[in-house]
Amino acid sequence: MDKSQLTIMNRSFRILDKRRASLLKEPATLKLKERVQEIRKYSMDHLDELISLARRNLEENDVEVFMAPDANQARDYIYQIIKGENRVAKSKSNTTGEIFLTEHLEEEGVEVLETDLGDRIVQMHQKSLPSHPVGPAAHLDLEMIAGIVSEALGKEVEAQPRPVLEAVKEDILDKLMGIGVGITGANSVAAQDGALLMVHNEGNISLMSLMDVHIVLVGIDKVVPTLEDAVSVVKLETIYATGKKTPAYMNVVSSPSKTADIEQVLLKDMYGAKRVVVVFLDNGRSEAVKSEKESLWCIGCGSCIVNCPVYGVTGPEFGYRRHLGGRGVVVSRYLENDEICSDSGLFKCTLCGNCTRECPLEIPTPVMVEKIRGECVKEGILQEEHSKIRDNVKKRGSPYKD
Amino acid sequence: MIYFPGCTARLKLKKISQATQAILDHAGFNYRVMEDENCCGSVLLRTGFREDAREVMERTFKKLKGQKLLVSCAGCYRTFKEDYPEVLGEPLDVVHINQILDELILDGKIQIEREDLKVTYHDPCHLGRHRGEYDAPRNIIKKRATLVEMDKNREEARCCGAGGGVKSAYPQLSEDMSLRRVDDALKTGADVLVTSCPFCVWNLESEKLKVMDLTEFIRRGIIRG
Repeated sequence: MDKSQLTIMNRSFRILDKRRASLLKEPATLKLKERVQEIRKYSMDHLDELISLARRNLEENDVEVFMAPDANQARDYIYQIIKGENRVAKSKSNTTGEIFLTEHLEEEGVEVLETDLGDRIVQMHQKSLPSHPVGPAAHLDLEMIAGIVSEALGKEVEAQPRPVLEAVKEDILDKLMGIGVGITGANSVAAQDGALLMVHNEGNISLMSLMDVHIVLVGIDKVVPTLEDAVSVVKLETIYATGKKTPAYMNVVSSPSKTADIEQVLLKDMYGAKRVVVVFLDNGRSEAVKSEKESLWCIGCGSCIVNCPVYGVTGPEFGYRRHLGGRGVVVSRYLENDEICSDSGLFKCTLCGNCTRECPLEIPTPVMVEKIRGECVKEGILQEEHSKIRDNVKKRGSPYKD
Repeated sequence: MIYFPGCTARLKLKKISQATQAILDHAGFNYRVMEDENCCGSVLLRTGFREDAREVMERTFKKLKGQKLLVSCAGCYRTFKEDYPEVLGEPLDVVHINQILDELILDGKIQIEREDLKVTYHDPCHLGRHRGEYDAPRNIIKKRATLVEMDKNREEARCCGAGGGVKSAYPQLSEDMSLRRVDDALKTGADVLVTSCPFCVWNLESEKLKVMDLTEFIRRGIIRG
């Protein structure tokens, strides 16, 4: 990420930080935080059991469920459903980013229309990566955004927020006509209720859920016991991610569209989706839960990167795909392998501990990073400079040559 | 008490170990400097060389066992205090110079002259967030100058960028991070940026602002009777 984008990103982060500062200290937030810690810890301690329960209850609710062991199988399964479509629509989802779903579908000739404003702008801007899990265009300023949108739409768009929004919205709504498949993620999955909870501010997920086919790609780690738990999780996520108490919308999807208004006869296919398909993505999470369980407590608020000293000077290259920052580095080991973990920035973390302090779940990322470094070094994945320092320490009793 | 300057104050920024000894001597503090100082092992632990770290720590522990230890470096402090019990199962009796300075001032063993100076304090991660030591350095600074806090201070303090092996493997990253911290300090309008870790001092040193270890800063303010 170049210097000017980093400056804009850090400015956005400072504004967010100030906006949420007093809300984070409110007694209600502290109480919610405690509750969510319990929920997420319990859930990751009982992951297998909760996922089986979620699957059973979703299927009972007439939702189709596919368990995808890895990225490849998730992509293939989704492609098989939408094969034949020219274009599909999509909301913001870090999990689709993780498996390169958009890239894969576009290679197969299916155009993917991002419907989240920030994501759509980043999609139009081929040169940059999303910089925050909830605010993906945090690294672009108004001038840059207007330029990107003007170029992509082939018309002059005034560098003011409203005209930019109108131009992008008009283009998206125009393209949405005739699309039959909507792809979303889910912020939390309620196992006992067989329900998916999705959070958004723009209203675009509601549109996705009204498509003929609604595909939900979600990591198995998003599961919690009940819908009440799921609501607690997303409330806290919203507070930490945006500084607002609640998002504009919380959609609960637990079945395709249905009605029993005529003599209690169950009829399907009223306004909403005819088919709801959930793809549960493992992709290394079962391994991660065994070795670095704490890394999966994450609720995706992005707090860890807002004050991360390393992220502040590198941007999203510290982390893996949409798993940003140090926690992203940790999970990349399980989503991918040790080499990719090292390339994602395993040795870039200063172990300062600010992410843990900022995290509502208090995920001990530096402890995990230090542990994984130890395991990687044993396999010869290390930094040349560190090797020299090791030799100096052993020969001279100090890391320095002189 | 044995004074263990640590590698940076001993080899790179000797002015810090010199200032420390000058203050201790002035106060008539009873101590001796560690001879044939070995590495505390911190750098090996942080960069993943766990087995080498254990060997070094065992060797160092043999020399230090049963002694009262005084350190300059926040990294050594955290390692002796936290990692030695964890890795070797053996506690070490260790204090950081800040705690001693605070006591010496309280006991009237050293007297500090107030000056019209604005100073901001950078909390080293190893001393602050990792060990909760926030008050002593602030008490000490206030004896000589007006303390002005950075926006991100105490447990929220932004890392200087040197730690975790980043300075050696990714020097540019460390420099970029240190510039941001120096900017934080400049925004306070302070004349001096003071910290309590030689490694932080080394990384933060800047043309834009005077950066000092707390011992250097206090040495200059001592009233000699």
